[in-house]
Amino acid sequence: MAGASLPPVLPPYPSAAVSAALTETNVRVNSDFRGDRIVLYGAIFDPLSRPSDVVVIVRGPDQTVRIAHKSRVAGVWINSRPVVFQGAPGFYIAASTRPLDDIAHFGVLRRLEAGVDHLAMNAPAEQRTETRYGVRDVVVSRLGVDYLDWRRAVVRLKEAAHLYDVADRGVRFVDKGLFRAEIALPAEAPIGKYDVRILLFQDGQPVAEKDRSLTVEKVGVERGLYLWAHERPWSYGLAAMAFALTAGWAASTAFRRD
Amino acid sequence: MDLYLPIAEVSVNAPLLVLLGALVGFISGMFGIGGGFLMTPILVFLGIPPAVAVASMSNHVAASSMSSVISYGRKRSVDFRMGGVLAAGGAVGSVVGVEIFRWLRLLGQADLVVALSYLVFLGVIGGLMFWESIGAIVRRRRNAPAPPRGDRRPPWLYGLPLKMRFSRSRLYISVIPPIILGAFVGILSAIMGVGGGFILVPAMVYILRMPANIVVGTSLFQIIITTALTGVLQAGRNQTVDILLATLLLIGGVIGAQLGARASSRFRAEELRALLALIVLCVGLRMGLGLFFTPHEAFVLMSGSGG
Repeated sequence: MAGASLPPVLPPYPSAAVSAALTETNVRVNSDFRGDRIVLYGAIFDPLSRPSDVVVIVRGPDQTVRIAHKSRVAGVWINSRPVVFQGAPGFYIAASTRPLDDIAHFGVLRRLEAGVDHLAMNAPAEQRTETRYGVRDVVVSRLGVDYLDWRRAVVRLKEAAHLYDVADRGVRFVDKGLFRAEIALPAEAPIGKYDVRILLFQDGQPVAEKDRSLTVEKVGVERGLYLWAHERPWSYGLAAMAFALTAGWAASTAFRRD
Repeated sequence: MDLYLPIAEVSVNAPLLVLLGALVGFISGMFGIGGGFLMTPILVFLGIPPAVAVASMSNHVAASSMSSVISYGRKRSVDFRMGGVLAAGGAVGSVVGVEIFRWLRLLGQADLVVALSYLVFLGVIGGLMFWESIGAIVRRRRNAPAPPRGDRRPPWLYGLPLKMRFSRSRLYISVIPPIILGAFVGILSAIMGVGGGFILVPAMVYILRMPANIVVGTSLFQIIITTALTGVLQAGRNQTVDILLATLLLIGGVIGAQLGARASSRFRAEELRALLALIVLCVGLRMGLGLFFTPHEAFVLMSGSGG
């Protein structure tokens, strides 16, 4: 799980600035973890008080996604060969003061990967380059025009699992220049380092940004078991099975005399 | 009371899982089956990743089988030699089955094969058992004599080489049919995430012609060996065994299995078989018929990144 990365922003105009802090930077996953809510507070510093919009993007570690399409063959619904998408974050939330499309244009959002439609995920195994209309190295996908359907399906399924979200009004101004956002982490949120990027938009352009990070990690027994299972899998497996067999034996002994 | 599972990485309701474990353990002890064919679909339905559900099931099945096989052993109704021969085949089968399953997951067809296996095997076995046991019940009600199926043992079972004496089962047969049967069940168990008792029990009755009172204990004994191997293999190779999930299930499971083994003596064998047949049929149809319904979501995310 590599740390998430976001593309760079244009050099900000010197006049406006944004500042923000998370109420919690270390989410501890222990046995009673049922998800978490993290509150972000921030402030805008702009001597001219120009109209501003704030976009908060939380992005978890990238996870390769395998997705298949069901189709009907002889009355039975079967899966197609799975398509592998890379560059999809394991968790993604874009919260903003207004709908993203009202804040900035398509190109700006695309460059910032702001909004689930603008995530730079693709399926490299399905792509090849060829010469088309005399232009060399044109990237075409085996998925053809359905490519967008596949992409949208990845987003839709992740949204259904509460792992992707676009909160149009997720950032609220609580006072002049002071804003607040809430990030809901489900219990299924992946473990790892999350990047939180706070962007200040004026007149459709990003003028300032702040980067924060958030770590989701297992602690205590959960961490011990996880590490044991992954670092010494054979001893873990043997111990787990020995425990299971002992429990079975113990139960039959306990029940022998009643 | 919710509990976060370290390997499955989901939060589950702990008392519900203990209760489920007890229910499936009860059925397991009663019928001499592992109960995996019931539990695996339920766990997946509850949102546990299928790979983790299948792997952690082997620990639960091993525990509840252990719990009840000791009770059967005390009643001298386990043929350890036959169980060992079956398990030898089962060990080979489960290693092969794990490889087949990895390959199917890579192709993205694991779901289809699992659902079809449930439909075909549970459907056919449930149907046959149900038909047979209903016939037996009807005959007993009318006080009609049993049909002369009895001891006309198939010659192929006796014509094969490598004969071995199974004194507990009162059989002197070749070890080849039990080994093939064990291997077949081993493959299926790795693919379907089950112990394979629902296939073993009828196969031992109808193919190997073992005495009915020996069958259940022997099947459980074989299941312990096969699932213990599968559980360790799954943990070692795929790191998919969730010890917390297995523990929750087996707390209920071992107790349920004791009660089930005790309850089984209160019923007649053919009534038990009819009940088991019904359960098997329902699960098979539930799992398999889903293939024919139009899914409301045409795309499906595959678990695991590389396969």
